[in-house]
Formats: sequence, structure tokens, C-alpha cells
Amino acid sequence: MDTDETTLGHIQELRRGTVVLACLIRLRTPDYGYALLESLNALGILVDANTLYPLLRRLEKQGLLTSEWNTEEARPRKFYRTSPSGERLAAALTTDWRRIDDALARLDTGEAR
Amino acid sequence: MTTLTDRYVCAAARTLPETQRAEFGRELRERIGDVIDAHVERGAAPADAEHAALVELGDPLQLASSYIDRPLQLIGPKYFLTWWRLLKLLLAIVVPIAAVGVLLGQLISGAAVGEMIGTTIGTALSVGVHLCFWVTLVFAVLERSPGTSVPVTTWTPDQLPQPRDDARAGRLGDLIGSVVFLTLFAVAIVWQQFGIVWIDGERQPIPVLDPALWSFWLPYFIGLLALEIVFAVVIYLRGWTWTMASLNVLLNVAFTVPALWLFLSGQLFAPEFVEAIDWPWGDASGITVTVIVFVVVGVAVWDIIDGFVKAARNRGGSALGGY
Repeated sequence: MDTDETTLGHIQELRRGTVVLACLIRLRTPDYGYALLESLNALGILVDANTLYPLLRRLEKQGLLTSEWNTEEARPRKFYRTSPSGERLAAALTTDWRRIDDALARLDTGEAR
Repeated sequence: MTTLTDRYVCAAARTLPETQRAEFGRELRERIGDVIDAHVERGAAPADAEHAALVELGDPLQLASSYIDRPLQLIGPKYFLTWWRLLKLLLAIVVPIAAVGVLLGQLISGAAVGEMIGTTIGTALSVGVHLCFWVTLVFAVLERSPGTSVPVTTWTPDQLPQPRDDARAGRLGDLIGSVVFLTLFAVAIVWQQFGIVWIDGERQPIPVLDPALWSFWLPYFIGLLALEIVFAVVIYLRGWTWTMASLNVLLNVAFTVPALWLFLSGQLFAPEFVEAIDWPWGDASGITVTVIVFVVVGVAVWDIIDGFVKAARNRGGSALGGY
């Protein structure tokens, strides 16, 4: 249905930036791609694998995540961890997120018009 | 034995730069392995699980391009407008020039009318296709070359198109008139070489203008006519301004002064032509020369004044907020 597709599109737009923030916060404890995907989805932060894996790679390239191969288990896995600059970005994004949430709440209640 | 996973990783990694392949392959294997495990956990047989996992991942090329941000379009939004504007500009300029050039060449070589039209249209088409192809190719390569930044043209309000108002519509008539006249003039300069003088109903194979002038002056005049055509197009697009009116003075002087000098010093016409028309015409000679000089100078002066009048009217119009 048309309306549903429109809604879905907008919801995706809205979520796009929050996935980055969720990753940066979640990866304060190192983890690998699939585990991250599972835990985010379990929390209700719905991410597509085809979005998450390329995102991790990009964040690493930007120096926001560091990575290390863990070869102790049967299959080698790449563990990502939030870097100091990733922490700074997470703080900035969180502040912004709160500010927007606040502003929206006030708009909604008609407090600020 | 190569597994499906091996083949998948190979297919996806192939499109990446060599330096990234090994790392990418490892990452992808990890991801595929985890997806397979998930399927097995849900009770699938290992072989089916691998197949299902790869189906889930989808087209390896698409997957690889999402990893390295490779554009999946020929020309992305960054260059699209620049590409589009340049292409339109080139098509509008180059195709007509090529067509006129070919037409002129055919006229000179005396081709048949049908052949002339066919060749001209054919050339225009092929020039258009070539333009589209090469311009697009360059932009597609740019799109795929990381690091190269072409100065994407910054937009300024000056580029806003004039609304298709009366002003431009009115100028369209001028444009068509100018282009037709100038083209005919240029063709006439070439054509006179092959004889356009009829005596007693018979065409004489003599040129009107002195063939010696081909070494410089006739090409010079034809070049000027081409410039005048460009000028007429610019006038059509932009309208008259003081700058354009001043340029118009230059163009007129550049044409009229040498032409009159050649005429008055007797270098303009071919001796055979002068002979064929029984020049000099006794008492009428002086009057004829005077009238011709008067008309030629008059046309140039009138054209110059016309340019300034239109420029003045234009400026007044825009100051009042409309023409």
C-alpha cells in the first residue's frame, strides 16, 4: 500500500542516524558484526545486515571505531570497539538527540509556538 | 573443493581494489559463517543453510558496492547538473556549426540537393551522438575517480533564465533574419567564384570578386560573418546591452572599412568581371560609386545606431521592472 510505503520510507530516514549512535554506544564493549546486529535488534533498534556491515566498515575508516581480529575461536572474527573520537561523536550525537526530542515534545504540547 | 561461500567471496571481492580484497574477504567470510550458523540453529541442514545464507546476502556485486561506496549510477547527483548543462550547451553550439560547415562544403563542391540534405542531417546526428557519448564518458569516469574534484560550477542568480517573455520572442525574428542573411552572404561569397553573371541568358564562368583576395580577405570576411552569427545568437539569448552594442560597432567597422577600401582602390572585383559589365560607365560611374559607398556606410551606421537604441531601451525597461 502507498501510505505504508511512505511511512516506512520516513521511518527509515529517521532511524538512519540513530544506528550510528547506537553502534558507538554499544561498542564501548568490543563485539563482532553479527552479535552487534542481534543485540541491537533484540533491543528493538531494527537494523538491516546490509546496512550494518558497511556502516561498521565506514565508521572504522573514519577512525570512530577500532578493530581487532579475534582468532581464538573456530572462525576468525573482527571485533570492533568505539575509539576516543567515536566517544566524542557519541556524546555530541546524544546531546543533539536530546535537544531534538525536547524541542519536539514542546512543539507537540503547544508550549512553544 | 570450492564451496559456494568461496565462490561468493571471490565474486564480491573481485570488484574491489586489490589492496582491500584480503581484508574484505575475511570480513565477508565471518559474516556468511555467522548467518549460516543462525540458519543451522533454526534447524536447517548445513548445505541448505549455506545456500539460504547467500540468498539472504543477495547479489555479490551489489553487496561489494555497498561496502566500498561505489556508485551504482552512471552519473550521480554531484555531477548531474554540471553534466546536463554542459551537454545542452555543447549540443546547441557544436551541432549547428558542424551542420552549417558540412552544408557549405557540399555547396562549394556542387553536390546534388538530396545528397546535400542527407549528408548534413547525417553529420548533425553523428556529431550529436558523439558529443553525448564522450561528454558522458568523461563524467562517468570522474564519478568513479576518488579524490579528483572538478570545480562543480557554483550557481549564481545571474544564471536564472529569462522568462520566455515577449522580449525574447520578439528577438527570435531578428535572430532568424540575421542568421539567414549572414549565411546567404557567406554562401554568395563562395558561390560568386563559380560565376553568377549572365550575359544574353548565358552564364559566364567568371568570378565577381578578384580570386587573389582568397589569400586573405575573402576568408577574413567569411570568418567575420561567422562571428556575426555567433553575435546574433548571443543577442537572442541575452538581449542588447551597452557592451554588445559596442561590440557591434567593432564588427561593423571590421567589415565595412576593409570592404570599402578594397572597393575604392579597385582591388575588390575581378578584372574579367569589370570587363564583362563594361565598366566604367561614362558619366554614371562617379554617381554609382558614390551611391554604393553611401549605402554601405549607411547600412553600417544604421546597424550601429540600432544596437545602441535597443540597448538603451532594454536598460530603461529593466529599471522599470519589465520590458
